[in-house]
Amino acid sequence: MIRSLPKFSTHAIMIIGVLITIFPFVWVALMSTHTRSDIYSSPPPFYVGSNLIQNYGKLLELMPFWSILWNSLYVSVMGTAGAVLFCSMCAFGFFAYDFRGKNLIFGIMIASMMVPPVLMLIPSFLTIKFLGILDTHFALWFPGVANAFGIFLIRQYMLNTINRDLLDAAKVDGASDFRIYWSVVLPLIKPALATLGIVMFIGLWNNFLGPLILISSSEKQVLTLALRSVQSIANSPWGAIMLGTFLSMVPLLLAFLFFSKQMMAGLTAGAVKG
Amino acid sequence: MSAIVESSTDSLSARGTVRRRAPDKRRVLKKRLMPWLFISPYLVLFIMFTAFPLGFSIFLSFHEWNPTSGLDGMNFVGLTHYADIITDPWLWKSLYNTVWLAIVAGVPQHLIAIPVAYLLVSVFKGALRHFYTATMFIPFITSTVAISLIFYTIYSGNSGILNQWLLALSDVPVIGALFAWVPDAMPIRWLSSSALIKPAIAFVVVWKYTGFNIVIYSAGFLTVSKDLYDAAEVDGCSAWQKFWHVALPMIRPFVFFALTLTIIGNLQLFEEPFVLTAGDSGGVAQSGLTASYYLYLAGWEWHQMGYATAVSWILFLFIAVITSVHFYFNGRKGMGGDR
Amino acid sequence: MKKLIVAGVASLAILATPAVAGDVRFDGFPDLNSHLDKLIPSYSEKNPDTKVTYQMNNHGDHHKKLTTNLATGSGAGDVVAVDVGFIGSFINAGGFEDLSGADYGADALADSFVGYAWDQGKGADGKQYGIPIDIGPGVMYYRRDVLEAVGGDITAVIKDWDSYIEYGKKLKDKKVFLIADAADVAKTIVFTTVKPGEGYYFDAEGNSLITSERFVTAFSIAKQIRDEGLDGQIGAWTNEWYDGFKQGTVATQLSGAWLLGHLQNWMAPDTKGKWGASNLPNGIYGSWGGSFLAIPKQAKNKKEAWDFIKFLTTTSEAQISGLKTIGSFPVLKATYADSAFDEPIEFLAGQKARQLFAEVAQKVPAVAPKKGDLIAEDVVLNGALLEVLNDGKDIMAALKDAERLVKRRVK
Repeated sequence: MIRSLPKFSTHAIMIIGVLITIFPFVWVALMSTHTRSDIYSSPPPFYVGSNLIQNYGKLLELMPFWSILWNSLYVSVMGTAGAVLFCSMCAFGFFAYDFRGKNLIFGIMIASMMVPPVLMLIPSFLTIKFLGILDTHFALWFPGVANAFGIFLIRQYMLNTINRDLLDAAKVDGASDFRIYWSVVLPLIKPALATLGIVMFIGLWNNFLGPLILISSSEKQVLTLALRSVQSIANSPWGAIMLGTFLSMVPLLLAFLFFSKQMMAGLTAGAVKG
Repeated sequence: MSAIVESSTDSLSARGTVRRRAPDKRRVLKKRLMPWLFISPYLVLFIMFTAFPLGFSIFLSFHEWNPTSGLDGMNFVGLTHYADIITDPWLWKSLYNTVWLAIVAGVPQHLIAIPVAYLLVSVFKGALRHFYTATMFIPFITSTVAISLIFYTIYSGNSGILNQWLLALSDVPVIGALFAWVPDAMPIRWLSSSALIKPAIAFVVVWKYTGFNIVIYSAGFLTVSKDLYDAAEVDGCSAWQKFWHVALPMIRPFVFFALTLTIIGNLQLFEEPFVLTAGDSGGVAQSGLTASYYLYLAGWEWHQMGYATAVSWILFLFIAVITSVHFYFNGRKGMGGDR
Repeated sequence: MKKLIVAGVASLAILATPAVAGDVRFDGFPDLNSHLDKLIPSYSEKNPDTKVTYQMNNHGDHHKKLTTNLATGSGAGDVVAVDVGFIGSFINAGGFEDLSGADYGADALADSFVGYAWDQGKGADGKQYGIPIDIGPGVMYYRRDVLEAVGGDITAVIKDWDSYIEYGKKLKDKKVFLIADAADVAKTIVFTTVKPGEGYYFDAEGNSLITSERFVTAFSIAKQIRDEGLDGQIGAWTNEWYDGFKQGTVATQLSGAWLLGHLQNWMAPDTKGKWGASNLPNGIYGSWGGSFLAIPKQAKNKKEAWDFIKFLTTTSEAQISGLKTIGSFPVLKATYADSAFDEPIEFLAGQKARQLFAEVAQKVPAVAPKKGDLIAEDVVLNGALLEVLNDGKDIMAALKDAERLVKRRVK
């Protein structure tokens, strides 16, 4: 059907999709050039305004924007790198072996995703306090490095791409288990690692509940929370906040493009499974 | 659900044992420990960061607790909260809304994401593909604040963009007849009438999460070997048959994964309904009140943390049952048992 | 918290200093930061040993964080702000210092404050836990040009609710809405016509008042306005709301005095001189919003915290500064004699409106917060009221359903 469908109608579908989805990005970008009064007119102004410079000045007045952005970047990169490593390790454990209790642990893991997160706030705070890592960036990224979502995702990917005969062959060749994981399996699941990378990076970047209760030093503040903290129902400099929001979306888009390139690279390498 | 997980049978160690002979004790021990070593990061983090909060919240659900009174302010009330839940009309209303939204805001995500991901992987190349994928992902990275500002502008009754488009459509010559009812119905209050708020929320959810699923499915379609398509072509398959009979069955583990996430995620839906009802206890007649939203109200707004925790465990059971059903019907193939 | 490092001074500047005795951290929500930015320098001059810092989060986040801090016994600032909506729940839970105690002696200050606000900071045990810092005396803002166009007179309009609705009917012919949202009228009546000794939703014994005459009247009048098509069904704090003020398509707004600052600064700056402020209709007095300051029991530097609270709430300098910087209305009665209160306000066509606000503030009756108010407000005013207005549910049926729900959750 795809081939019989004229190419332009495929493009047409895509372009409609793009128009619907790109809207917030363009909208936030436009709003970051306006004053609060303009943003709150009805209908809002869908053109480039002239207040960009003032908004930037106001943004820097509100928060040390770039150092806070750096904090966010640090937390997100650490958490993403950790997750890529540890989730793939755990997924390999679940994928490659049979052992007593495997089903139970996997079941608990899936079940732990079902606990509504809003109520974990208070006990999580107590845990972090008990461990003595309150007010550290470590407490923001470390607890999530081996998470159910990532392990599940990568295990599923392994099902599709890793041929068990390959593992056995490596085993016969005398490779250690860790070596098989590191040198045989990891290169084959790059696209999955990239997919996990995207999702982790965004999740860490947009997390504000963690920083809200765990971080008390202003110089350790992260961007999403900093942008939230200056919002009041009425008195906020919305132009500056919109500019901050726009600037905070840019690293996410760059990260996405980076990872999606890794992911698409799997297109040619994906032909491993015979 | 655990019965299904074991279906991935032929494992590394099982086969390895057959091929090797007379392993000494140390090696057996090492072999036994190996899988535990690999999953140890999860186990350690689970024990460190998840086990206590879970235990705490089970304990809490048997207590009455205003959190602002501190940890020693808890009163044991036994099963009272659970007994109350059974006859709590807002809870049942919220569970109904939750299921409604899970279905209406869940199914379209996949019906859109699967074919779009297939198109992205099979038709488009290079920069264009990156551009399309990246833009479709934008809603997922948009902050809640921006989403609420944008959708209030779209949905507002008197001057909202959506209503203006509907009005404009009713003036278009041919299709105008289809929209003839629009001028009489104006202004349509998308966010402040009990009949429309759920569809309005559902649209935002679909809009936000479809891009996420596109990424998951793209990763899936990328695992399908080109040889398979070539073989199918030799057999005379049409493009449609290639999609339906070759590509789709191959990405089953991904469909299974994405569906699992959507089920769990949608049944915990909180942020979108909260924002679109301005936090006003679920909108008119609580028609936008989801279960997570309700337990948030009970715990953080009304300071009845014990009751809220009990509600959260009921919600947990509810999600677990539905997920188990999903695992039961789809798990055998989705978890890889047929391979 | 052994690694406590205080939040940066002034706009989250990067100034990390380890906490030492004498430092005060203030936890609050915007716009209190603008307020503090103006005041901290002057306070530091007088108290060189005390270093004041603050940590701001948006309104919802701040209360969530404070709840977590009180629940776990750690992480709260030395001074915390609490919105009036939450004050009843927070002060009766035992997480704050009893300011009536010998260390503080807050009771001696009672007479300097506006009575109703002071009483709201009292716990059920009669002790003072929260000190009011700003209040929102309720007034009606109205468009003068719209009123003139129909040849009306403001005293006649606000005589009672019937005359108010009559005015709305005249406006309807001109395609102007009487009010943005009829629900505001119901809420106003519910909050302002409480009988002495009663709470908003419960009487002194804790019995529900939800099906009482006060609620029926409030709902009926709002429903009448809605059914006659006199309100715009426009939610507060939306673009449509601001647009109504800009275009003059909404004639009145019942609100706290603080709305003035928003109107003139950014909501509708071009409508200068077209507005007026009056008492609420039907001779009632009420308030919109307000904040309190408290000292958590877990605070490190309570003495300094109390000293700073006194500076913010009992000095004219701080109270007047709040009025001028962020438009928060003073709670300290002595300030009402300040020359700032005689200033004619250009935006209101030269009206000396602050005198009106001050007069209203001192007439607002005190209503003691009761356990369960938060639930009742969500169930009755966010729940039942909307069902009546938007879905046409019968008033008595809605109130009875709401009462049943509230009784289930408040025991």
